[in-house]
Amino acid sequence: MNPETKKVEFSEKAQKEIREILTHYPDKRSAMLPVLNLAQAEFGHISEDVMVMIADLLDLTPPKVYEVLTFYTLLNEKPVGKYLIQLCRTLSCALAGSENILGHLKQRLGIGIGETTPDGLFTLKTVECLASCGTAPAMQVNGAFYENLTRGKVDKILDDLKRGAQPVLKPMGEN
Amino acid sequence: MSESVQIKTETVKLTIDGREVVVPKGTLVIEAARALSIEIPFFCYHQKLKSDGNCRMCLVSIEKMPKLQVSCSLPVSEGMVVQTNTSVVADARKGVLDFLLANHPLDCPICDEGGRCPLQNYSQKYTAYGQFKEEKRIYPKDYFSPLIEKEMNRCIQCMRCVRYCDEVIDSQALSSVNRGFHVEIGHYAEKQLDCEFCGGCVQICPVGALLNRLPLYEYRPWMLTQTETTCAYCADGCSLRLESRPQTREVIEVTSFWGNETKSVWGSGRNEGDLCAKGTFGYEFVNSPHRLTKPLVRKGGRKDGPLVETSWEEALETAADGFRRIKTQHGGAAFGALASARCTNESLYVFQKFVRLILGSPNLDSSVRYGAVNAARAMTELTGTPRWLTSYEEITRADLVFVIGTDITQTNPIAGLKVKAAAKRGAKLIVATPLRRRISTLSNIVNRATRHLAHAPGAERAIAIGLVKAVLEEGRLAERVASHRSTQRLRDAVAAITPKQIERATGLPYEEIKAAAGEWASASRAVIVFGESVIRAKDGYETVRILGDLALSTGKLIADGCGLAPLMEENNEMGAYEMGVVPDRLPGVGRLDDESDRDRISRAWKEPIPAGPGLTMMEMLKAARDGKIKALYLMGENPVGSLPASAGAAEAVEATEFVVCQDLFLTETGMKADVVLPAASFAEQNGTFTNQEGHVQAVRKAFDPVQGTRPDWEILSEIALEMGYPLEYEDGAEISHEIARLWPGWRELPKRSEQEEAVARYLNEELAEGVSERYRLDRKTDHSVAPNHRFRLVLGPVLFHSGKMSLKADGLMKVMGRPFLYMAPEDAERLGVTEGRLVRLRSAYGPVQRSVDVEVKMDAKYPPGLVFFPESFNEPPVKDLLTVELAPVSGVPVFKTTEVLIEKA
Repeated sequence: MNPETKKVEFSEKAQKEIREILTHYPDKRSAMLPVLNLAQAEFGHISEDVMVMIADLLDLTPPKVYEVLTFYTLLNEKPVGKYLIQLCRTLSCALAGSENILGHLKQRLGIGIGETTPDGLFTLKTVECLASCGTAPAMQVNGAFYENLTRGKVDKILDDLKRGAQPVLKPMGEN
Repeated sequence: MSESVQIKTETVKLTIDGREVVVPKGTLVIEAARALSIEIPFFCYHQKLKSDGNCRMCLVSIEKMPKLQVSCSLPVSEGMVVQTNTSVVADARKGVLDFLLANHPLDCPICDEGGRCPLQNYSQKYTAYGQFKEEKRIYPKDYFSPLIEKEMNRCIQCMRCVRYCDEVIDSQALSSVNRGFHVEIGHYAEKQLDCEFCGGCVQICPVGALLNRLPLYEYRPWMLTQTETTCAYCADGCSLRLESRPQTREVIEVTSFWGNETKSVWGSGRNEGDLCAKGTFGYEFVNSPHRLTKPLVRKGGRKDGPLVETSWEEALETAADGFRRIKTQHGGAAFGALASARCTNESLYVFQKFVRLILGSPNLDSSVRYGAVNAARAMTELTGTPRWLTSYEEITRADLVFVIGTDITQTNPIAGLKVKAAAKRGAKLIVATPLRRRISTLSNIVNRATRHLAHAPGAERAIAIGLVKAVLEEGRLAERVASHRSTQRLRDAVAAITPKQIERATGLPYEEIKAAAGEWASASRAVIVFGESVIRAKDGYETVRILGDLALSTGKLIADGCGLAPLMEENNEMGAYEMGVVPDRLPGVGRLDDESDRDRISRAWKEPIPAGPGLTMMEMLKAARDGKIKALYLMGENPVGSLPASAGAAEAVEATEFVVCQDLFLTETGMKADVVLPAASFAEQNGTFTNQEGHVQAVRKAFDPVQGTRPDWEILSEIALEMGYPLEYEDGAEISHEIARLWPGWRELPKRSEQEEAVARYLNEELAEGVSERYRLDRKTDHSVAPNHRFRLVLGPVLFHSGKMSLKADGLMKVMGRPFLYMAPEDAERLGVTEGRLVRLRSAYGPVQRSVDVEVKMDAKYPPGLVFFPESFNEPPVKDLLTVELAPVSGVPVFKTTEVLIEKA
């Protein structure tokens, strides 16, 4: 297994936060999600080294961290682009044409699911229900919701983002 | 458990398919149905696992409940009316199967599970064939591990493997990767599986998603013959099933032993269906092309001639002639005989009878001399029997387990599972070991410890003394002992040892030991589990006695739920001791120096038994070097390969006029013998092994002995006949009967009540005897981080190997094909070496001046200053850096540890 070499380390501030988080739970394992979130904020994604470090921290084996990491679409195993596009593919969105939107995104960006554009701007992912069924099809860019998507709307969003506009976090249903 | 204590359990009455049944409260509906032999289909349920209810196959209809219920996660309630077999239920189950088959490839014709697969069987039963037309989800095929094959397209996501790996084995090596539709079983980050390779995931997988890679595509299950037998590796004594092809006399695979189920749902045996890597993947030595299949003799009968193949007739005649000649010329005392404790009780029994009656020699010993004899002897003195007065069940139910002197999850993995189970139940777990806590996919009992006594290497005796001292001086004595006159002697002995001395010897604060002693004394169900670092040490015998004193003085030696549990390494060490394959014991643990014991047995044999004392292994080898032993008979024992070169075993065998060796393989000793006879393996004969607890368990023949080999007892019997003595047996069973006639209690477990007398005698006579020698700390122990590249080298057993058998098992060699020197990462850094680099070892003192190069493996489990080498490997010859010391009481050859100098090679 890991030859116990420390390749990565949390910042001083993160370490302090982790110590605090660990006091919240009787069992270290329970601190997994908050620690993973913290790690993602710190490193951008959870690399293998980070995963092994978190396993050590929580007295677990790496497979137990990997399970959680791969279960949640909001945790990234690999580096992502500046904009992380997460398109919903669950029932309501699928009925409202998310397949078409996906095809369009793939074509516009020239990448497949899970891939990042060569300029490092966009990463495309599909996710399960974003709880925006009433405004399907929907997607999220870095946490901001874009709803009632059409090809035209997608084009505009991508163009705006490319120009440097920031995704705007708005209450659901206002797009 | 005393029968007067009645545990009152609340019961619940319910009706299943019109039949009433009463079961304990909390029983699951699926289990209640089972009590009525009503079969409810399932995939994800397993008796050993917590209910998960994920596969939905076990749906039943329950009156007054609106929807079908999952019977594997629903506890029974009073008056419940269950229907398991209505058309609604059948339709629902068919629906579940249709969903499972939506993605399953239905590649049954090429699946190794085909024919014993519940998915296949239930599909047939419910006529489900996957009616969806959509494309199937296809996982790319990838390599998973050398022993476990992963075929994810067949996976039904029941998660039994992941749950078993976590809940039972506590290894946490498997994970369910991704989510929903895309779930698959993996290790982590697309890595190959690196784990204990217990194979439990393969056993527990209901379908063909996880398979034993060794015989992949080589068989159809219905073409194999199943033989339920006992494992031939360690003394845990696991039941397992040999799946073999009798036509070609080959073991094809090993499955766990489970009665009538298709998979190990109702695991049974002492191991309750669990196995380790050696049990599951170590069977290939039976099929090894290196097996001896023709007898060998020296060409032209000359000592310096080469070993050449010959016929059985000639080989037996040569052996018999040689023995007859030595006996006539030099008498019985010129013979020495050594047996391996891997042989069956039956072969061992015939062996000692052959040596005592036909060769007429008292000089016989067995591989128990490597250490187990320390435990067996001390236990017999304490309680009148070498067997445990506790059990795996009691360990599991204990409220305190004290583990000392063993890396139990490596040496005795299944006994280790029992300790882990106790810890998970919430038992206190005191672990005394220099090893450190380190979480990985290889279990480490320290991780589960509630109190870790991280003592200096070799300080087991000092720990035991410290505990006895604390118990005595803190007034934690059991009443019966406190008032006993012998106790004063014990008090005096421990008073003579100061807490400072104990601290110096153990490297631990005395307060820590006192706290552990307090926990021990206040526990009501408490077991001491100890292993090779105790019993193979120079003071092994004394330490076992002291641990006995600890148990006795706190009233935990023969109390219910309590006891001592010595761990043994070889499968039948208990049997070898009990069959009297030691110079001072007769079959049934009778004493050779006891007139009545000797008379009783010689009357049954109708021959006088040569009086002792006979020579122990090391005495025999010395006598051989001195020319006093003229002939050696070795049954499966290989002293030249097992002992360090400095023990002079090679010289002893070379100096002996006539050496006969019978074995599965041509060993280092065999190469120096005059006659080598090919023996049959445990798969090829009937008999019994006695596990470390004292359970006499059946060894059953899977197929006839591999062409050209014979069972050990049969070879003995034939030599005897050739020498003109009848020692004939029809089969193993006839020998078992003879043993049982001689020793009626053989197959029974010792009863605590019967041991009362022995313990009372011990208390009256032996407790005080030699107490001052026992309670002495004369051993130099070192616990500082050693300066100047000086390290403590420890040799010991590892999970994947046991010696000549495991080294011939391809599967185990695939996991661990060569040895490493394990060291703490801090030490590697200090030496400036990285993983895989060579280091050079030299003995730090003593006459052995050679150096050996070994590959480094970093493992934070080992504390700084201590390096570990797996003793099963003779290459590189690390073992030869050690000088053998003799344990004073038992004559055990001690070669566990030494100081070495290490530098970058």
